[in-house]
Amino acid sequence: MTEVAGIPVDADVAERIATSIGPAFDGFAAISGTLPFDLEPASFLLAQTLEAGE
Amino acid sequence: MSTDPALMSLAEVASAIASKRLSSHEATRGLLHRIAQWQPRLNAFMEIESEAALKAADEADAELAKGESRGPLHGVPLAHKDMYYDAGKVVTCGSLIRRDFVATSTSTALQRLKDAGSIRLGSLQMAEFAYGPTGHNAHYGPVHNPFGLDHVTGGSSSGSGAAVAARLTYAALGSDTGGSIRVPAHFCGVTGLKTTYGRVSRAGAMPLSQSLDTVGPLAQTAEDCALLLGLIAGPDPEDATASHAPVANYVAATKASLKGLKIGVPSNFYVDDLDKEVARALDDTIATLKSEGAEIMQVELPDQRQLSAACQLLLAVEATAFHKRWLIERPQDYGPQVLMRLQNGLAIPGVTYLETLRWRGPALAAHVAATSKVDALIAPVAPMPAPTIAESDVGNNSGAEAVIQRLTRFTRPINYLGLPALAIPSGFTRTGLPVGMQLIGRSFDEATILTIGAAFQRAADFHQKVPAL
Repeated sequence: MTEVAGIPVDADVAERIATSIGPAFDGFAAISGTLPFDLEPASFLLAQTLEAGE
Repeated sequence: MSTDPALMSLAEVASAIASKRLSSHEATRGLLHRIAQWQPRLNAFMEIESEAALKAADEADAELAKGESRGPLHGVPLAHKDMYYDAGKVVTCGSLIRRDFVATSTSTALQRLKDAGSIRLGSLQMAEFAYGPTGHNAHYGPVHNPFGLDHVTGGSSSGSGAAVAARLTYAALGSDTGGSIRVPAHFCGVTGLKTTYGRVSRAGAMPLSQSLDTVGPLAQTAEDCALLLGLIAGPDPEDATASHAPVANYVAATKASLKGLKIGVPSNFYVDDLDKEVARALDDTIATLKSEGAEIMQVELPDQRQLSAACQLLLAVEATAFHKRWLIERPQDYGPQVLMRLQNGLAIPGVTYLETLRWRGPALAAHVAATSKVDALIAPVAPMPAPTIAESDVGNNSGAEAVIQRLTRFTRPINYLGLPALAIPSGFTRTGLPVGMQLIGRSFDEATILTIGAAFQRAADFHQKVPAL
């Protein structure tokens, strides 16, 4: 993955990255792959505006 | 009101200068005297500009003598986190890479404070590129907590927290991407306002994560934060994300009573695994708010761990994208912990990143639904008081992220949702370390949390405790 990103790292760094960031992937796993087809990032701004207008 | 000018609040000193009961020169000289005493112990300042500050103070006094006032902060000396561009000044961003970077423009927030009449004392220390919650800095050394010199200040606005706590500046701008205003406010016993995403322009402020970065003040009181927010909030042609939502009269909001307000206490997540003294401070704060007229209700929130995880993934990718060129060209110039965290961002797929952005809307809608019966929430800023500098110096080992996670566990979900939150001093541990709570509001409703914070500060005096040399 880091090679694809253009910044290859040593194996020990790759292992440390996996250990560090793994829990975040685990925490987001229940959401990942479940979002509706037509949901856009801009829905956040809409939700903000709606809340502020309440 | 204190008779020592250096111990006055921002609102008090601004009023004293405006009414000529105190000169800007006296106020500035008083702070410089304290800075000379404290700086060797705290390392809170990146740069101290004594001569220039006194010259600017004298000019401000001369203007006032002629009946001219630039605005509500006329002649008030301030210092800010060293990430706000100020044309012609070096802005290090706490880094080696930008050690000699001279800004060619001035950030909108800083310009608005200058336009209000404030003068520059210098710049404040921070975590390297604002990417660390402890207060360590591999290049410039850690900032020390004024309430316990071997303890961290929290970060990334480490210098801002320490300098306000030790009364070395009347207030300071910080920035909050994952907790960087609230954690130092909690650890240092000051008041800190994380603003709604979009409330304050970020133009000319060093970026860390474009989806999460917010600009806000640290100060002695909620009233001081209100005063500053009223000056810096609002739309800006230089920042398309700066909202056109109406800017309230925040100072007026701090005079309001709590009667009729409903404050929610989360029944999960924010009350789990708290250190005893943090749990006690939470209970005591709730009791005070109740006695001041607020109605307290339990609230069950959606899964905050998912919000925290989404925030971490989003932040990691955006920070790494900003830094990619330097990661290729100058990796040796990063401190080990920041380099490690930036490398983490390389391992997150683009699809996952976009999913974290796409989920923000539904996540905020779910939060709004869960909190529809209350005006604000109260929760600890962190599960523990400030750890020691030694025990939180985690370098680049694989356990570093776990330490960072615990420190920012209660702050990241709020950044992901873009909500405002006010950190208020709420007690002290047996060993004298501050403990803070965060009041979490609705989007663009900073006024309500400032009302609650100010009412609490009329009933309790934790924010008035000054650390001893």
